Amino acid sequence: MAENIKTANYDALVIGAGIAGGEAALNLANNGFSVLLVEKDLSIGGKMILLSKVFPTLDCAACITTPKMSEISRHHGITIFTGSEVQKVVKKSENSFEAVVIKQPRYVVEDDCTACQLCEQACPVVVKDQYQYNLVGRKAAFIPFSIASPRVAAIDIENCTLCGACEKVCPTKCIDFTMEAEEYHITAGAVIVATGFRLFDPLKIPRYGYGQYKNVLTSMEMERQLAPTRPFNTVLRPGDGKVPDKIAYVLCTGSRDATVGNPICSQICCMYSIKQAQLLMGSLPMADVTIYYINIRSFGKGFEEFYEQAKGMGVNFIKGKIGKITEKENGNLILRYEDINENKLKESEHDMVVLSVGVLPNTDAAGIFREQKLEFDHLNFVGQKDPLASPAETNIKGVFVAGTASGPMDIPDSILSAGAASSEAMRYLIRK
Amino acid sequence: MEKKSARILVFSTEKISDPAIDMAGLLKLHYPPTVYTIAVPCSSGIKPRWIMHAYDKGFDGVFIAADGSDCTYGETCTEKTGHIVGITHQMMKEKNIDPARLRMAAICSVCSESFVKQIKSFNQYLLQSTKS
Amino acid sequence: MNKKLGVYICHCGGNISDYIDVEKVKAAVAGEDGVYLAKTTMFACSDATQKEMVEDIRSNNLDGIVVASCSPKLHLLTFRAVSERALLNKYNYVHANIREQGSWAHSDDKAGATEKAVSLVKAAIAKVRLARSLDPIIIPSKKAVAIIGAGVAGMRAAIELADMGCPVTLVEREYFVGGRVAQWDVMFTTNQTGKELVTRLYNEVIARDNITLLTGAEVVANSGSIGDFTLKIKVTPRYMKEKCDQNNLLKAIEACPVVVPDDFNFNITSRKAIYHNFPGEFPQYPVIDIKNCTRCGECEKICSSVDFSQQEQTVEVHVGSVVMATGFDPYTPAEGEFGYKLSDFVVTLPQFKRLTDINKDNLVYNGREIRNIAYIYCVGSRQSEGDNKYCSRYCCTSAIHASLEARNKFRNVNNFHFTRGIRTYGKQELLYAESLRKGDVYLQAYEENPPLVEVKDGQITVTINDIMTGGREISVIPDLLVLVTGMVPRADNSIASKFKLPKGRDSFFNEIHMKLRPVETVIDGVTISGACQGPKNITESVNSALSAAAKSYSFVNKGELALEPIIAGIDKDLCTWCGECEKACPFDAIKKEKQGEKEIAVINNSVCKGCGMCLPVCPVNAINLIAFSDREIESMIDALVSV
Ligand SMILES: Cc1cc2nc3c(=O)[nH]c(=O)nc-3n(C[C@H](O)[C@H](O)[C@H](O)COP(=O)(O)OP(=O)(O)OC[C@H]3O[C@@H](n4cnc5c(N)ncnc54)[C@H](O)[C@@H]3O)c2cc1C
Ligand SMILES: Cc1cc2nc3c(=O)[nH]c(=O)nc-3n(C[C@H](O)[C@H](O)[C@H](O)COP(=O)(O)OP(=O)(O)OC[C@H]3O[C@@H](n4cnc5c(N)ncnc54)[C@H](O)[C@@H]3O)c2cc1C
Ligand code: SF4
Ligand code: SF4
Repeated sequence: MAENIKTANYDALVIGAGIAGGEAALNLANNGFSVLLVEKDLSIGGKMILLSKVFPTLDCAACITTPKMSEISRHHGITIFTGSEVQKVVKKSENSFEAVVIKQPRYVVEDDCTACQLCEQACPVVVKDQYQYNLVGRKAAFIPFSIASPRVAAIDIENCTLCGACEKVCPTKCIDFTMEAEEYHITAGAVIVATGFRLFDPLKIPRYGYGQYKNVLTSMEMERQLAPTRPFNTVLRPGDGKVPDKIAYVLCTGSRDATVGNPICSQICCMYSIKQAQLLMGSLPMADVTIYYINIRSFGKGFEEFYEQAKGMGVNFIKGKIGKITEKENGNLILRYEDINENKLKESEHDMVVLSVGVLPNTDAAGIFREQKLEFDHLNFVGQKDPLASPAETNIKGVFVAGTASGPMDIPDSILSAGAASSEAMRYLIRK
Repeated sequence: MEKKSARILVFSTEKISDPAIDMAGLLKLHYPPTVYTIAVPCSSGIKPRWIMHAYDKGFDGVFIAADGSDCTYGETCTEKTGHIVGITHQMMKEKNIDPARLRMAAICSVCSESFVKQIKSFNQYLLQSTKS
Repeated sequence: MNKKLGVYICHCGGNISDYIDVEKVKAAVAGEDGVYLAKTTMFACSDATQKEMVEDIRSNNLDGIVVASCSPKLHLLTFRAVSERALLNKYNYVHANIREQGSWAHSDDKAGATEKAVSLVKAAIAKVRLARSLDPIIIPSKKAVAIIGAGVAGMRAAIELADMGCPVTLVEREYFVGGRVAQWDVMFTTNQTGKELVTRLYNEVIARDNITLLTGAEVVANSGSIGDFTLKIKVTPRYMKEKCDQNNLLKAIEACPVVVPDDFNFNITSRKAIYHNFPGEFPQYPVIDIKNCTRCGECEKICSSVDFSQQEQTVEVHVGSVVMATGFDPYTPAEGEFGYKLSDFVVTLPQFKRLTDINKDNLVYNGREIRNIAYIYCVGSRQSEGDNKYCSRYCCTSAIHASLEARNKFRNVNNFHFTRGIRTYGKQELLYAESLRKGDVYLQAYEENPPLVEVKDGQITVTINDIMTGGREISVIPDLLVLVTGMVPRADNSIASKFKLPKGRDSFFNEIHMKLRPVETVIDGVTISGACQGPKNITESVNSALSAAAKSYSFVNKGELALEPIIAGIDKDLCTWCGECEKACPFDAIKKEKQGEKEIAVINNSVCKGCGMCLPVCPVNAINLIAFSDREIESMIDALVSV
């Protein structure tokens, strides 16, 4: 392996290529700094690239993300590694970090693939599509999703049977099963951690029946059903493919709830649920949408107006926490809740329930920093050393945090946080 | 066949009124689809001959979505745009064109509702006046 | 020469194609003169389509392209970059807006929307046929930035820019820096005090010799534009020498006969016309408030540092970019709004913050010991009647934090919160949980039915139909009522008109696009940061300030800037020099010049902003604006009616 190790030097290493990492990389590169952007996934863009439209302006997420992502992928100053992970980072001295990055094999030569999708058609293996949040299937030879960047096929080697069908049809002969993981030894003057967030797993709240009742889904699954690159072209009940007409949202699923270990508010779920409700009213005009909430937190610029707009469109808002969900034979769901306004226990029937799952920390970065460890706060988000005066600073000088890696945030706030991280990194690099 | 809506040419401005017209779309505030926009940098740079050309080619009305006091190029914008309208009115009279077929209103960058209201009333006026 | 053109019509994933028949549009324009290829695409802005366009342009040697998609405000730059990558001069690409001004505006009339789209695309084709290749105008950009407002946002941006090697002029209207934060004692969520934070930032500011801090200073005039703004700044002196004997000063302050409300304490206390800044107010020099001073001369007799001979000065600075950081004002309730001004015991949240700061052991106000405190939330925010529809975002957390602080600092305090639904978003939720744990009482109402405040014989009664208990009527008689007031734009916002900054629906300064260009304004070179853009807490203000610093830095760091070459041009042969255009130009870009025998008007290309104000005034029609020439506009008009 030793002779396969490649080396390279950059001004900055950015870990995670969601909207925060992408924005930070662009800011740096636009000011003349060279950046290595390392993304674990097969495409850059993070959660945002998979969203439908985004509150509070209702621009389509793809229309905002894709041009940014293509600007990133085209920038002379930015090198992107997808399907890669930073194995370790060691600070050698001020302005000098050494990192080991492992690039997992894609089994497709990126530069040669034309995204013709012939391999996809040829592949006999069907597995669940994680980019559609398992709503549909995909092949083992596949292009992650239509607006992925890079838009290049990959082989899911875990599920691949090595039948060789794809290799035969590929017109540019870019499929290569002999590819191996590549190891890069990198030096960088500064590091930005933009590893984003994880979603709460609703299996942890069995009384909501996720995973057990087919028509209970998560907000991210709904996001995919509403997206322009959506799998079905309309909204369907997973149970029987029926178009739903009485949809419920359960806010604060896995948030503000110490019993599931997450006492804080996720800051985005009220708003994205209101957004989805508006989109649902648009695409299913006859549908009845009800949002069950504790408090509606529409606090940002234009958010309260957005909430008022939803009320005006006829979205029902009921103040009440859901106790339990049960399933009827026809797949409909009975929600038991305490109606706070009327101060009594009630039941209501819906044919689809969306759990507005919350934001959890991603602790991936914990293991990466060797010698001087990266500190995390008591909630397991990347710790901010000086949250008021320098929100992007971490305990390690020269390592900065951007976006939801440091706590729940919506897209506008993630972008500003990324702006701060890149600014701090630039200052650190210039000041030397 | 009776026309459902009049053909209106809107001169908007790239930084101020065009964003308002965009926002009207974003908010799905509907107006007739026979309203077409040409965006220019500033309303005080519209030549009367362009307006006359539009009538010549069959537009029923021309609407100047002016920068008003928000103009980024200076306070004189309102006065200058007003002057352009004055000159054009003169030219229209000479050619026997009803001067009311040219309208101007200041449309700020968030004046979407006002834009749509103005356009609808202009459309009404034009439909009535061309019928008679 | 007949140009070879490519036309791309975008579905926008349904945003367009759900209402406009894009295939029909394609068919209608494919036969237009010069159109070599016409295509529809799912997302014109996607990476794959961009690549395809580059490929098309290169392999077919296209001379121009039209993209029909969303508003050019979003993606003009995207497609210009596409052209450049294909080695096609970017001014040979023309955009047609068929989403905001097509499918969305006419979603009620699909046939009409489709017809309009055809016309718009045809007009764009007409324009691109006449388009010329242009090179950007390169102008020098001064490597210096002015920051207006020295609150946390302004100071933080200043430190950042200074460390990037960019000289900063930091302009503060007051005689102290730190803005609002200087006025807060213990703050959420770190329990640092405002004084600590401001002291730290102030020390960092003065430690940098490339930051010039001006206090008592205001921008009185602004001219120029990106790369070269000229600001005239009026600096009002303190009328005090820097060195000062503390003893004499104190005596002088005592001797001053003028007593005015102290706005640093939001008028809950008063001060003299000569006064010393509070600890935590920097710079720590005394000031004579010349507006209220009667020139009686009492202080001058005692303190030799008083110096009425100091003169107002006007300084001029030249900078390449300007960062706005002028912050917010706390909302001032109307008289009678929730009992405001009807009792001495109704205060606003900022006043309450000052009150808990200046009281040490017991919470005493106007001679009354305060035990039971009621808080009414959302005063001046989330109004159903008034103009302020927005939520001020900081105030739930701030009120809870202040109430906890009161509980911790003073004995026997009971808190009663009258809320509209608590919004302690994110990690701030932990404060709310703590407050509940400690036994604070929370009552809630909706906007239709806000709490009622009655003041009778000096007694305040707050009554609510509490939805948390099924609408039960609950009354509280507090010793003190705190109105949790929101944030509003600065009352004196004349700075906005000096820079012609646009405001949003909420009247705060508006960004170009919340996600694409969040700190830029439509005025090139002017960025916005902190609470002047909308309500924010400190962390959020600083994040935006650092983003703005990075953006402003990118305008000045290279020492030059490429500007749009969209400027006016004069036809030498037609011009007879009458001087009308010179008068019309707001930027003095036009001058008379002798060319051979003839005197004609000549345009200075780096000064011309391309507004076009000179065009209509020329009696011989000798002036055209590049990309907006008579031919271009008139052929667009022809194309619009051709359907
Ligand atoms: C259902 C839903 C709807 C939403 N709707 C909206 C909306 O309408 N408007 C809005 O403003 N916000 C919305 N949001 C919030 C929005 O998604 C987030 O604010 C945003 O995605 C945060 O971006 P990020 O870059 O910080 O994190 P992420 O999007 O999580 O990106 C992090 C990236 O880092 C990568 N990564 C992680 N670990 C590693 C590692 N060890 N090495 C390399 N790479 C790594 C990940 O693969 C990912 O690409 C929504 C969220 C959800 C869940
Ligand atoms: C009661 C209250 C309590 C708060 N408590 C907290 C808290 O505990 N934690 C927290 O994180 N946030 C808190 N905040 C929010 C915090 O105050 C703001 O986030 C912060 O002040 C915003 O900083 P800024 O620099 O944008 O604006 P400001 O603090 O308003 O500063 C703006 C500066 O610009 C100056 N200025 C204005 N106009 C001009 C002009 N034309 N020319 C020159 N200078 C000008 C002003 O004098 C001022 O110095 C609180 C807010 C309130 C109202
Ligand atoms: S944002 Fe809304 S739904 Fe999400 S945790 Fe906070 S209160 Fe609950
Ligand atoms: S933050 Fe709380 S108090 Fe402030 S306006 Fe919003 S809901 Fe009301």
